[in-house]
Amino acid sequence: MKYEVIDTDVLVVGAGGAGCRAAIEASNHNVQVMVITKDILGKAHTVMAEGGINAALGNSDPRDSWESHGYDTVSGGAWLNDQELVEILVKHAPERVLELEEFGALFSRTPDGKIAQRPFGKQSFPRACYAADRSGHEIMVTLVDEMRRRDIEVHDEVYATSLLTDGSAIAGVTALDIRRGNFRVYRAKATIMAAGGAGRIYEITTNAQADVGSGYAMAYKAGAELVDMEQYQFHPTGVAFPESARGMLVTEGVRGEGGILLNKFGERFMKRYHPDMMELAGRDQVSRAIATEILEGRGTEHGAVYLDVSFLPSSLIEEVLPTMLHDFLDFGVDIRNEPMEVTPTAHHYMGGIKINAKCETNLKGLYAAGEVAGGVHGGNRLGGNALADNLVFGAIAGESAAAHALSNGMPRLDRKQIEAEYERVFAPLERRDGVRQSQLKRRLAKLMWDKVGIFRNGQDMRSALDEIVLMRTKDEPRIFTENKSTRYNMELVGALEISDMLLVSEILTRAALMREESRGAHYRTDFPKPNHEKWFVNIYVKRDGGEMKLYTKPVVITRWKPPWMEKSS
Amino acid sequence: MASEKVIINVSRYDPETDDAPRLDRHEIPFKKGMTILDALRYISDNIDPSLAYRWNCRTGQCGSCAITINDKPGLACRTRIAPGQTYTLRPLERMPVVRDLVVDLSKGIKRLEKIRPYLERRAPPKRPEILLREEVADAAELRSCIECFSCLNACPAAGEAWQEFAGPAVMGRIARFELDPRDADDRVRLAFSNGLYDCTSCGVCKEVCMPHHLDIRRKAIERLRAHAVDEGLGPLEGHKSFIENASKTGYAIEVISTPLVEMVPDVIEPEKAIDEVTFFPGCLINLRLQNTGLNVIEVLKRNGVRVRIPKEFVCCGSVMFRSGARKTAYELIKKNVDYFRRLGVKKLVALCPGCMSTIKQDWPIVLHQLGEKPYEFEAYDINEYLVNVLGVNRMNTKDLRPLDMKVTYHAPCHLNRHQEISWQPIALLKLVPSLKYIKTDGEDLCCGAGGGVRAGRRELSYKIADQKAKRMAKTGADAFVTSCSFCTIQLMDAVKRLNLPQKVYNVADILAMSYKKA
Repeated sequence: MKYEVIDTDVLVVGAGGAGCRAAIEASNHNVQVMVITKDILGKAHTVMAEGGINAALGNSDPRDSWESHGYDTVSGGAWLNDQELVEILVKHAPERVLELEEFGALFSRTPDGKIAQRPFGKQSFPRACYAADRSGHEIMVTLVDEMRRRDIEVHDEVYATSLLTDGSAIAGVTALDIRRGNFRVYRAKATIMAAGGAGRIYEITTNAQADVGSGYAMAYKAGAELVDMEQYQFHPTGVAFPESARGMLVTEGVRGEGGILLNKFGERFMKRYHPDMMELAGRDQVSRAIATEILEGRGTEHGAVYLDVSFLPSSLIEEVLPTMLHDFLDFGVDIRNEPMEVTPTAHHYMGGIKINAKCETNLKGLYAAGEVAGGVHGGNRLGGNALADNLVFGAIAGESAAAHALSNGMPRLDRKQIEAEYERVFAPLERRDGVRQSQLKRRLAKLMWDKVGIFRNGQDMRSALDEIVLMRTKDEPRIFTENKSTRYNMELVGALEISDMLLVSEILTRAALMREESRGAHYRTDFPKPNHEKWFVNIYVKRDGGEMKLYTKPVVITRWKPPWMEKSS
Repeated sequence: MASEKVIINVSRYDPETDDAPRLDRHEIPFKKGMTILDALRYISDNIDPSLAYRWNCRTGQCGSCAITINDKPGLACRTRIAPGQTYTLRPLERMPVVRDLVVDLSKGIKRLEKIRPYLERRAPPKRPEILLREEVADAAELRSCIECFSCLNACPAAGEAWQEFAGPAVMGRIARFELDPRDADDRVRLAFSNGLYDCTSCGVCKEVCMPHHLDIRRKAIERLRAHAVDEGLGPLEGHKSFIENASKTGYAIEVISTPLVEMVPDVIEPEKAIDEVTFFPGCLINLRLQNTGLNVIEVLKRNGVRVRIPKEFVCCGSVMFRSGARKTAYELIKKNVDYFRRLGVKKLVALCPGCMSTIKQDWPIVLHQLGEKPYEFEAYDINEYLVNVLGVNRMNTKDLRPLDMKVTYHAPCHLNRHQEISWQPIALLKLVPSLKYIKTDGEDLCCGAGGGVRAGRRELSYKIADQKAKRMAKTGADAFVTSCSFCTIQLMDAVKRLNLPQKVYNVADILAMSYKKA
């Protein structure tokens, strides 16, 4: 059993927007910072964000304010958000955007030379700062360049497999060096979890293949508290055709720029669902409207609805939606002349590791930021708030982790934990036959899409849960790899991934079964209405004595009272 | 439909256990809209789970899945598959293999890191920072690079001398800071020391750049070279005589024999004129390849086209644009355009694609910048004119006599990529009875002459040329055919250096040869 131990003050797990921003912030405090990423620096899912980053700069409408941004975020989030976190998000976002521009980002401009802002769903003012329709890429490029300026050490293609504890605090992670197949231990005074989302548990998703929910799984196994794990966002507009591109994001920017949704009869159906906000209603609302149109037979032959911008000037489409234009041209559709076909697609996990205002978790030495953290977005995330979340909480996590590292010594390593994890990681290499990880992944993704997706009900979810538990207990221990090489063994990586995916799916399904009402993105056909009296609470999940414990706590309300509470008081 | 198949050959190699890479052949079902990445996933999910390849976003946004697809780098997720075809997939050529299709990108990334790829400001900006759209447009369009390194692996200059030419992605990155009004670093010197003048202008980087097709040649290299000239770093010694000549005499090269324009009358009448063009010879045809010029006239005449010779034409300015001394070209362009207006030129035809792509792409921009009217004439490459305008089916084929020869074709970059004229020259060759055309593997690879590299970086230029000539010789053809005066001279030199038996012709030479046999 050979492994390398690498020591650092602050370890960042994940190199997307939150991880990179955290690393940059931590590096301001004269501590040694190291980043490990499952892919390659600059290639994280953040690059796929297209539409923009919300910050109440007021460039497009001077009436905008952080209060308005906060209200939109909380009301858009079905009031489940942790308002303390929301207040931080909306107050810090302008600073983070301006600072990003100072690092070197180049956003699209207003005619008077300020950062341009476009309207997004459920927001009172045009608030999403954008760089054409490659906003996430622009942010990622800027952060990567800033990391290079600071010479922050990044270890590419290293998969963190578990969090280590020394009894009282998190001591770092175990990891697999994917390229060489070496097992590694990263020991750190402070660890920042920024491992991103879990879209791959669903069959149709916008998410990159790296997004398997490892961060939630690692944190849960180490005893971290997770919140809102039933709240998963389905983006209304994913590519419907061709099949190979199914699920790929069609940015909300398309609707922000004026794109309209039509069913197969050419009817602008949003007027039947949300006549006030139309196409810019909440993502959960638009997703359900589209899904209903499709389910009730008003969809296209590809199981989709139309999204049309062809009435806009071609020059505008070319300037502000170049990625969409190129993508669809590749599929044989010229969006300047004809409509796109779109369908809802799994997009963003609102739930995640519970953090406080300092990005601390309930585990000493563990911090979390970005999609892997929960509570900021409540029951539905507004378009443009994920990138803001990344930068705002990334920076806070970096600062807090650095402070922790400065005042704490290096934790002790528990060799037994390391050895047990070593065995778990390499077990599939030892097995001669059994179950293939790729088959399990396909089975799980279909199951989750069909039974714990946009429309949910108790019966389906119970049967899904049974199957997930069966897969975890019967199939997972039998996963084997045909290939026994340790060099870039995608089967071995896949085996680790499906294990994380199964755990996250179980947590999600249990939380979704518990919430017997509909709120935010969580919609139950057997409980189609919200039940404020019983369910205006957050659901928490934690591992306790080897058991998965679910419990509720009141929602943190600091400033914005939900309408039903206003009335009663 | 359901039974349609595709053949996928995949390179397999585990450096720890295999002595050498091998190709595995898979026949897999075709699905509409399928990409190379889908094929790889099909293979690893259904046939061979041990296959290693890298991918992440599957939408052309992360740049993880760049591999070599049928000898050209590209993103697996953005390359669509056609049914019934064969695709051979290999790792990126210039990077060490980790396993199968996965390479170690570190060396490429390191080169990027070395150029200080971050904004260097003089002082912190005021808030809010005012940046007008026009000020930052040039920089903004270069920011979409996803560091997939396809361009680096396709680039002929980096292919022969990566140690001195950092490659297109790096040049794009330098330009994106140089063109950013906020940046205060000396990016031009950085570009210069990273091989700014090594780019041959072939444009293959744009071709393989998915999905945005960043035009590094025009939007990074040529802009950086213009700045280099402003700062006295460029052009290179080798370029200077051409530029001086052009400003002094109107020709980029010296007159050492009778110019074509003095060998022929103002107008050459065919038997029965069906159309009329003005032939723009360009410096090389006028002063070095007069015979090819006569052949162009012969071919046009045989096809009922009246040919006018603009005897007072001057250099098109190509050399200046490619080397960065673009302001020197302004006067030449104006002179030409005024002259053609006086002559009442309706259709301008050239053989040299260096000239024609400059006329088509650079002249309009310069005229606009100078506040001049756009030119009124139509501008055509000779192949384009014959095949697309005159019509290949209406061409005079009855006077074409058999030529008993095997030829292979070199596609000039300024014709194939910059004017998108690719199949027309071959269609013309195929009109000649008995002539056999054999395709060179890598027909569209650069010969190394362009972009001022032949003039300024002779040694590198020759290395690229020799590679190309060897590929062409491998076909066993009796002759090399191209349609560019500059490529012709470059290939002639390569043939001489390598002691090859082949002769080098232009398409027009071959056609004229066939007509003249009658």
